[in-house]
Amino acid sequence: MGFSLHLVVVLPFLLAPAVPFLARRLGPRLGWALVPAPFLITLYLLSVLPVLAEGQVLTASWTWAPSYGLSFALALDSFSLLFALLIAGIGTLVLIYSIFYLDSKEDLSRFYISILLFMGAMLGVVLSDNLLALYMFWEITSISSFLLIGFWHHRTESRDGALKSMLTTVFGGLAMLGGILLLGAAAGTLSLRELGAAAPAVAAHPYYPAIVLLILLGAFTKSAQVPFHLWLPGAMAAPTPVSAYLHSATMVKAGIYLTARMGTVLGGTELWFYIVAGVGMATMLLGSYLAVQQRDLKALLAFSTVSQLGFIIAMFAFGTAAATAAAVLHILNHGIFKGSLFMLVGIVDHQTGTRDIEKLSGLGSKMPFTGTLMFIGALSMAGVPLLSGFVSKEMMLGALLNPPAGPNVFTYALPVLAVLASAFTTLYCLQLTLKLFLGPQGESPLEPAEAGPGLLLPPALLGGFVVLLGIAPALVEHHLIAPATAALTGRPSSVHLALWHGVNPALFMSIVALAGGALLYWQLPRVLPALRRLSSVRINANTIYNALLTGTETGSAKLTRRMMTGNLRDYLFYILAFTALVLIVGLVRVDFGGFTGRWPRLSPVSWSELAAVLVLIAGALTAIVARQRVGIALGVATVGFMVAILWFLWEAPDLALTQTIVETVSIVPLFLAFSYMPRLRDRYVRPRVRKSDVSLAVVIGVLSAAFTYISTGTRLFDSIGHWFVENSYRLAGGRNVVNVILVDFRGFDTLFETTVLALVATAVFTLVRSRRDPGGAVKPESPLMINPVIVPAVSRVLFYLVLVYSLYLFFRGHHNPGGGFAAGVMAASAVIIWALAFERTAAMKLVPVHPRYIIGTGLLVIVGVGLSAVALGYPFLTQAFGSFHVPVAGEIELASATLFDLGVLLVVFGAIHWLVAAMSDGIALEQEHIREYRARGVYHLRKGRL
Amino acid sequence: MSNLVVAPVVLPLLTGAVLLFAPRRLAWQRGVSIVSALLVVAVGLILVRTAWQGGIQVFQAGNWPAPFGITLVADLTSALLVSATSVAALAVVLFSPYGMGKDREELYYYAGFHFLLVGVHGSFLTGDIFNLFVFFELMLLASYLLVALGGTAVQLRETFKYALINNVASGFFLLGVAWLYRTYGTLNMADLALRVSMSESNGWLSVIAVLFIVVFGVKAAVFPLYGWLPGSYFAGPTPVVAFFGGVLSKVGIYALLRTFTLIFVEDPAFTHRGVLLPLALITMVIGIIGAIAQTDFKRILSFHIISQIGYMLMGIGLLTPLAIAGTIIFVVHQMVVKTVLFLTAGAAEQVTGTTDLRKMSGLLTSHGPLGVLFLIAALALVGIPPLSGFFGKLTLLQAGVEARAFFSVAVALIVGLGTLFSMIKIFRYSFWGEEKGLRLLDKNSPAFRGLLAPIALLVVVSAALGLGAEHVITYTSASAQQLLSGQAYIEAVLGSFVVARSGS
Repeated sequence: MGFSLHLVVVLPFLLAPAVPFLARRLGPRLGWALVPAPFLITLYLLSVLPVLAEGQVLTASWTWAPSYGLSFALALDSFSLLFALLIAGIGTLVLIYSIFYLDSKEDLSRFYISILLFMGAMLGVVLSDNLLALYMFWEITSISSFLLIGFWHHRTESRDGALKSMLTTVFGGLAMLGGILLLGAAAGTLSLRELGAAAPAVAAHPYYPAIVLLILLGAFTKSAQVPFHLWLPGAMAAPTPVSAYLHSATMVKAGIYLTARMGTVLGGTELWFYIVAGVGMATMLLGSYLAVQQRDLKALLAFSTVSQLGFIIAMFAFGTAAATAAAVLHILNHGIFKGSLFMLVGIVDHQTGTRDIEKLSGLGSKMPFTGTLMFIGALSMAGVPLLSGFVSKEMMLGALLNPPAGPNVFTYALPVLAVLASAFTTLYCLQLTLKLFLGPQGESPLEPAEAGPGLLLPPALLGGFVVLLGIAPALVEHHLIAPATAALTGRPSSVHLALWHGVNPALFMSIVALAGGALLYWQLPRVLPALRRLSSVRINANTIYNALLTGTETGSAKLTRRMMTGNLRDYLFYILAFTALVLIVGLVRVDFGGFTGRWPRLSPVSWSELAAVLVLIAGALTAIVARQRVGIALGVATVGFMVAILWFLWEAPDLALTQTIVETVSIVPLFLAFSYMPRLRDRYVRPRVRKSDVSLAVVIGVLSAAFTYISTGTRLFDSIGHWFVENSYRLAGGRNVVNVILVDFRGFDTLFETTVLALVATAVFTLVRSRRDPGGAVKPESPLMINPVIVPAVSRVLFYLVLVYSLYLFFRGHHNPGGGFAAGVMAASAVIIWALAFERTAAMKLVPVHPRYIIGTGLLVIVGVGLSAVALGYPFLTQAFGSFHVPVAGEIELASATLFDLGVLLVVFGAIHWLVAAMSDGIALEQEHIREYRARGVYHLRKGRL
Repeated sequence: MSNLVVAPVVLPLLTGAVLLFAPRRLAWQRGVSIVSALLVVAVGLILVRTAWQGGIQVFQAGNWPAPFGITLVADLTSALLVSATSVAALAVVLFSPYGMGKDREELYYYAGFHFLLVGVHGSFLTGDIFNLFVFFELMLLASYLLVALGGTAVQLRETFKYALINNVASGFFLLGVAWLYRTYGTLNMADLALRVSMSESNGWLSVIAVLFIVVFGVKAAVFPLYGWLPGSYFAGPTPVVAFFGGVLSKVGIYALLRTFTLIFVEDPAFTHRGVLLPLALITMVIGIIGAIAQTDFKRILSFHIISQIGYMLMGIGLLTPLAIAGTIIFVVHQMVVKTVLFLTAGAAEQVTGTTDLRKMSGLLTSHGPLGVLFLIAALALVGIPPLSGFFGKLTLLQAGVEARAFFSVAVALIVGLGTLFSMIKIFRYSFWGEEKGLRLLDKNSPAFRGLLAPIALLVVVSAALGLGAEHVITYTSASAQQLLSGQAYIEAVLGSFVVARSGS
């Protein structure tokens, strides 16, 4: 039993993915393959009908995510059964109808997939016991509805209608999700069946008003209640089977379902009564009032649906057994007659080529069956006796007279409004019947002809039910209506369905409504223009929606354009301003007081330090105000060199050495690049200096300095640094602590900093390479070719000196200042000297292999050192060192760190070499080019000639 | 003491180094990349399993004890994020042969991509704040290479902004590390956490903390630090941007998550509730406003990144176990879904030659499967159940309700509607409508199928994350507990050292 209950929901979902394959085999007969699914579900539902009528509830649960309180739990009682029967039963008929309605050239599989998804989801909504699962199915119905409304997506109105419905219903869905979460927090459960017991606690909870509002937002948007009614007419852009199924018989009733269910938990308060009754009745009146003014038959039916839904929803404000029973019966009736009416309007559209009520009349003689069925459906809706609608309408009108609150103006107004709305209902029902089928024949694009049996059968079956239920409403009383009512009210239903309720106020109201409607129809030529004048107000729900939509889009665009200027200085301004702001706020928050009395004493500043700093500042200012690239680069370099001097003064020779070499080497590629660029002045309009930028820069500078100063006074712990000093020789076998930190203690950092360097070179190369237009400028000559005799001569000497020094740096690195990085940069600078002295490409002739091989090898060496430790069972990058006795040479200290350092050297050298090469000639950077250059060998080193 | 922890870093590094040798042998480049990506996925999954069964895994680089050497830590969170990243990376690598263009592939694309992966995995795994800086640099350099790959004018312009802004952030990063080191005398994050817990900084730590909000906020594209993102993500090659959008911005969130649960926890009323949470909400809203304003596939997605970052930040701002779990779920979900959405943009670009929504339409008619996959991914992003996005959002919403942060909950819900609106906009313009624009690839061509396969892979992952939500929340709740307690992390990293010091 449990599985079959889940199958009811799951079957359509299982079938949906199979549709494309079925479509390939069956072609236009695809629909027939799908009809059995809803039909079987209907049969199953009918089979459990007697059991449920006794008050039993079928449950089944699959666990899903209990941590969220989410389970795929289903519960089927009579109230759910009523909806499920509508969904599966009308679903079966709609599938049959659509087979005849849709052209075989349409994208049938997309249509049927969406329909099946909807069917499964809708069954999920009405069967779910778990509110989160219900929410899930709820959203899936919105999406499938969106897809179906947009089925003919080449039409603008389809796309717009789909969007409108999706936005409205998902908005409600999100509100509902919020409500569900609050409800879960208040009640401690998300199970519908358990919620009933928690109702008093929920009503007393401070979240209660929010829960009511949020959940009703969900229900009202789905059921197209005022002011969210506007999506439903837009949804009429969908193919008619969809309108019949989703937008009249089933999906729009999801809101009713939710309101009814939630009424058992949240109902019974004045808040609930006034909101639900107020919105419902307003919707009923507005819907019917708008329906009579429509020219498009489907729009008329859409507004009529809005109106009827409002009436039903209002019933659930009352919570009385009578009102509930009336609503339950009307849900069934409305599903049946409205489903058939939509199908019939679809037939009219299909057979005449128009849905314009002004163009259609006198169809009765040509389409007698359609006409007859239309009369049955419409008159049932109007509440004419002997048809199903009469019974439920009578009961609903009667229920209005016994409000749980009041009496006050509101409760007195309810019956009056209902009668007025019913009069309008009568009026449009007469338009649907008398206007359409009687009188002289109108002008339609196609010559009217009766539809085939395939199209007529589904509405005929529904029409049969309308008559049957109208004559003998008791047929459904015991098995469906009474138990469904009981399922909601929690008490056995005492409702008695009968054709004749005796002479009572409700009968009187019915008569007034019918007569009023007839009167209005008689005076239609005068009434209609008056009504249209009345409703031609400037502001209505539609204009508000449009204003919101376009307002959001244009407003967003404006705001975004304003913020996202594309201007780097603006973005930096935001970032720096924000930084300054939060730092200052932070400072204020700690009340500055955390630092009083702990202002650090600064060490005395020497003259040399002061001088270095002043030059540094001058360099920075130069970089800011310089008007040529060279000036900027020199300014920046000055800063770097002064930092190197400061390192030196602070007795950090390693840093000073490295910094000096790096500054030297990094400025060369800049100069090489500049020679390709136009003069700064020619191309670049110097931007205006913004005062705000300047002041912000100053603020950031001051803050950085101030906080750094504060941090020196806020030392809470000793640094771990002394550990390195103590252990560098003992544990790592190196006397140069900086080098040991770099290659061993924090060799892991170095590994990736080295990779960064490799990436820099690669990135520069790819950039140069992809920008270089074929045949573009290659400037082989050196930018520093000042003196053709002296410079090369000196350079050659320098070249060898530098190379030797590089080796020296490398080998002494583990114990003294130096190391792989410095050595690599040094070696590269030898190549740079060559390039500067002779020609740019000379560097490439010197080094026989492509720089990427050097870099790659270097990286592999480093990773290899790391992995060899892994092979020996140690953590990656564990270094080994030791003294080895080598014959002749004596004791030699060897450390795997040296190999690591060699890798660093290779990468650094290769990277800088590549950088310079890329700046020299973007294209000559494949191995074959290098071979070519070497073959030409103009300035070849070995041959020793210029 | 496990080398497994370092494997997600070393493997791509080795791959990148090897790929440097022959950039133009594409079959080889692609083959090696795919094999390596698969291996990394496997390693990631093993890491998750190990972290789940065996607790926090610690790797001490060079066998030096913490806090002196560099520590890598695979706890539940970092193992999970490494796994998710590796899956996204696999999809991108599979996509690239069809979606990148041969010219660009030959320019060290795969090497750059694997180096990027090194940086990402390293950032997730490292337990050392300076080492995090190093990995950030690596990541940045690789991303400069990749974003500018192809070198069109717009790429250069946007990469320049991207690079400059990120360099400013790097400067602040160094400054922050310096302040921290000066105050606490250590760089190891566990050691930092321990020292923070042992001392009272009178608010000084919170001041350092806000600087780190700026540093990581730039990386994560948090309001108002996100200026670099939309332009550069629009300009870059789409497969690259797919990985950036899916994964890269989440590294910033991860860094915030790690440091603001482990180290900067002295004054959450200020740093979390006072700064991060409001930023989260503004980021959500401003991102979605940006997305609504766009009419380009990639631009809409780029602004969505910002908006979704807000959700993740919200979890950190709330700082409850459930909220942190929500952030983690959201990060994983975004890695998958954002990547796949950009890949669909890439596929659409390959088919139509443009990402401008106004220049394409009717793709549903001509290339139906792409439309279906896009729609599912889009709905996952919006947070429609049962897809992955729903559970991330649900967790955060429940956490918000629990923490009585109703305003945040309301904003998060409303932003969801904006997300839907802009995703539907893409769908309406490019997939619906009359067929318009170019069709460079046939629906049945192998190239188009090659584009679809990785997209389908990620869509399946997203659905699986939703259907397996219970596993996900169980795991991430445990991760959140681990993050918030901090003690387990400190003990795992410093274990013996703590004992030794307290003994002496």
